[in-house]
Amino acid sequence: MKRGKSFIKRTREAGQGYLFMTPVLVILGIFVIAPILYAIFLSFHKVQLLGGSHYEFRGLDNFLKVTFDDRAHIALKNTVLYVVIVVPLQTMLALVLAASLNAGMKGQKFFRIVYFLPTLTSSAVLTLIFMWMYNQNGLINHLLNILHLPTYNWIGDPDVALIAIMIMNIWATAPFFMVIYLAALQDIPGSHYEAAELDGASGMQKFWHITVPNLRPVTSFVVIMGLIGTFQLFDQSYIFSAGSGGPNNSTLTVVLLIYQYAFKSLGTMGYAAALAFLLAIIILIATLLQRKFSKEESLY
Amino acid sequence: MKLKKSISAAGVAALLASSLLTGCSPKEETESKHDKTTITLSGWGGNPIEKKLLLDVLSDFEKSHPNIDVKFNQINDQYMDVIKTRLIGGTAADVFYLDAFEAPGLIQTGAIEPLDKYVDKDFDIGDFEKQQLDAFKENGKIYGFPKDYSTLALFYNKKKFKEAGISEPPRTWEELRADAKKLTKGNKVYGLGVMPQIERLYYMAESQGGQVITKDHATFAQNRVVRSFQPFLEMHLKDKTAAQPSEVGSGSGGEMFGQGRAAMVMEGNWNIPFMKDTFPKVDYGTAELPTINGKKGTMSFTVGYVMNAESKHKKASWELIQYLTGKEGMKKWTSKGFALPTRKSVAAELGYDKDQLRGPLVKGAKYATVWQDGPMLPIIMNNFNNQFLSAYLGERPLNEALKDAEKQANKEIKVTE
Amino acid sequence: MKKRPIGRTILYAILIIYAVITIFPFLWALSSSFKSLGEIVSGTIYFIPENFTLDNYKEIFTREPLFGRWLLNSLFIAAAGTFLNLIFNSMAGYALARLTFPGKKSIFIIILAVLMIPFQVTLIPNFLILKELGWLNTYQGMIIPGAVNATFIFMMRQFFINFPKEVEEAAAIDGLGKFGTFFRIVLPLAKPALAAQTIFVFMAFWNDFMRPLVILSDESMFTLPLGLNSFKGQFISFWNYIMAASMVFTLPILVLYAFFNRYFVKGIKFTGEK
Repeated sequence: MKRGKSFIKRTREAGQGYLFMTPVLVILGIFVIAPILYAIFLSFHKVQLLGGSHYEFRGLDNFLKVTFDDRAHIALKNTVLYVVIVVPLQTMLALVLAASLNAGMKGQKFFRIVYFLPTLTSSAVLTLIFMWMYNQNGLINHLLNILHLPTYNWIGDPDVALIAIMIMNIWATAPFFMVIYLAALQDIPGSHYEAAELDGASGMQKFWHITVPNLRPVTSFVVIMGLIGTFQLFDQSYIFSAGSGGPNNSTLTVVLLIYQYAFKSLGTMGYAAALAFLLAIIILIATLLQRKFSKEESLY
Repeated sequence: MKLKKSISAAGVAALLASSLLTGCSPKEETESKHDKTTITLSGWGGNPIEKKLLLDVLSDFEKSHPNIDVKFNQINDQYMDVIKTRLIGGTAADVFYLDAFEAPGLIQTGAIEPLDKYVDKDFDIGDFEKQQLDAFKENGKIYGFPKDYSTLALFYNKKKFKEAGISEPPRTWEELRADAKKLTKGNKVYGLGVMPQIERLYYMAESQGGQVITKDHATFAQNRVVRSFQPFLEMHLKDKTAAQPSEVGSGSGGEMFGQGRAAMVMEGNWNIPFMKDTFPKVDYGTAELPTINGKKGTMSFTVGYVMNAESKHKKASWELIQYLTGKEGMKKWTSKGFALPTRKSVAAELGYDKDQLRGPLVKGAKYATVWQDGPMLPIIMNNFNNQFLSAYLGERPLNEALKDAEKQANKEIKVTE
Repeated sequence: MKKRPIGRTILYAILIIYAVITIFPFLWALSSSFKSLGEIVSGTIYFIPENFTLDNYKEIFTREPLFGRWLLNSLFIAAAGTFLNLIFNSMAGYALARLTFPGKKSIFIIILAVLMIPFQVTLIPNFLILKELGWLNTYQGMIIPGAVNATFIFMMRQFFINFPKEVEEAAAIDGLGKFGTFFRIVLPLAKPALAAQTIFVFMAFWNDFMRPLVILSDESMFTLPLGLNSFKGQFISFWNYIMAASMVFTLPILVLYAFFNRYFVKGIKFTGEK
């Protein structure tokens, strides 16, 4: 509390403070906080909403079901695999692109606009464009053929379908994080680099010893956002597999499974809510682990 | 501590606020002020000509029922998801299409209105093909009337047959295999285009006395089922004379056939208008599916009209269903050949059994397996197809794959309990 | 400064190769949208269409009469949602940065905690709450639940913390109240942050797939991503139409980006002193 303010002034400011916060508090209350409490309620019940709502208390049943639900295990495995591969790759790619762009190159603006195209495009559109390119007789197989590389049935083959989505997503998401890196790069004082240059540092050395350490807080942010985003993979899997998570469950993600249990099968909404909570816990743990490793106190 | 308190306080406040808002939200008008009732009908699209035909039938209905307006609402993608979501949300149509295969699950929830009490004598229930009607029965009650059906038949490319020196379509699976070998040209043209999916192969699965589902549980890993698929798999893996559409970059069996990448496919009545529209130049014929061990078999798919149990206009809704599945409405709907009639009297009148292309489809109805087997079939189908594909691709032996799939399906059934 | 030509060349090579990789799919989609179905199914791979045609664009608007409606739905929902976000998030961010009131710290912590909750947790309850409100299949059901965003409340707070105090003090001397100061003085000076927020929030609404998938069931209420998916369901393997539709969907956001581009990088501030 600041000194020197009268009680009246403080009260008035508090009133104004709440007024400023009102829209946020009301909306967060109704559409975030209340739903979280509601979701807790749902996750302990068997819920059948068709033909009049039925709620039946089931205790921890929904959470225990996860242990023998093979599809949940497959979905988790796919999702974790996806996260572990996509997050590091997209982060590195974003960093390299941002650093390259920031090196005072000509045409920076042009590259920036081009790179940002995928971020601007809806994932529904991107998924369709890639499905068209991934087609058995499509562009990608055609190019692979020219280069005498093996071709794949990208969408139909369970071994490569998830990889196809990974490639697409790294391509689509890296530029978004590149922009965030770019913004942060402009905050690194030029004097750091000049000092290093006087010491005769090469470009690579400058990158490793000045750029990377200075960007650590942003990297932490990018990795956390990347974790949250990748754990929630849905649109691409949904469109790729027409909602099924096929072929052979290879594109089934946790969120797609939640969707299926909530809106596709009948009477498993409570179980879907339980799965959503477990996902939230996994994301939380991953984020905490990331923080522990990077030892950063910067953001969250 | 403080944090916890404020969270719960915020939660309570939000709940209060949301219940307040609910109280204020305007109640929907249920009865229109005029004496005209508007009911909605949901269905999937089909091709533009087919849709126009439906709209024609609906406008005939409106003419003969001047106090009822029908609004047709088309759902193009993920039909069942949308229908279920709307039923939960209370925004579903009064009358909608329902695939027989999804019927038992939905009927169990109580979301579908039983129709027995509306039916009068003139409607003549006995006129329906029993098999198709039974697909919409549960505990002795009728929940829907089949609007049309189709079986599967063998479509064969006449030009390719001629080139390969084959004079007539195969009658047995052994003949089919031999012909497919002659018709295949590397990986450009396959003898047979296949869909490695249970909905296309159910009749085959049970051809050796096995049972895919027993008492709402998957039992398809038994030897008698596994054995029955052997010739089917060998055509792809050993003979390399069969392929699925995605292997040649096609989106469907019909497309694969039309593009000339398969000389034969097993498709239904829908493929006839599709070929006419998209590949009018391809000269083809149809035949009954080849026999397995001397026994005839095929699948039959049927779709019915059902009524939303929460419909506000049940009388008008019944009028619509009665008209659409009645003799007059069904005759008009099936007259253009997009679908086959489920009423014997209409079938006899339209004479599709004598039609050159549709004859084999109609003949199949007598011995076809109807694609409906209780509320758990969607789950079982999903698991079966997933694993069956890996066996089809040769990644693992079929008995192993199906054993896994059976286990998984039964676990999933347990999850829904 | 001494230039290192080899390093530069490598950098340019990286930039150019990646630019090609980025733009390639779009050009391919664009070129496919000008091809006839015959050329599409023939399997030939030419970047320049053999028979350049605009028919696909004509066809999608006539074959799918709801196309224009979807475009308008998306524009309206995204614009209204973005507008509310800008005001509400900035107000909250400002209050959290500048005003003193009891419970501020707990509120801030709650907002940070909300950031961590994946929205799938709230998806099902939200659906049920919207059902109770009668908001399923409505614009408000699409707009209001997303009208505030914890991430951008946080970003705005960071922005206002670094904002020079003198400006507000001058306004206070001129007799402007907190609201007056905020809307007349502070907000106009926050342009870069608002521009960045506009693009991010607009994009989030514009591209959102899962929420409309659950909330909207009536085709005439669909937004573009849903419409496009439904379109694909109907015209499966008519890739010429699907690509033309995709191109139409992409255009508005490119225009918006061109408009706000210059503020964009400057306004992003997620880190910095607390």
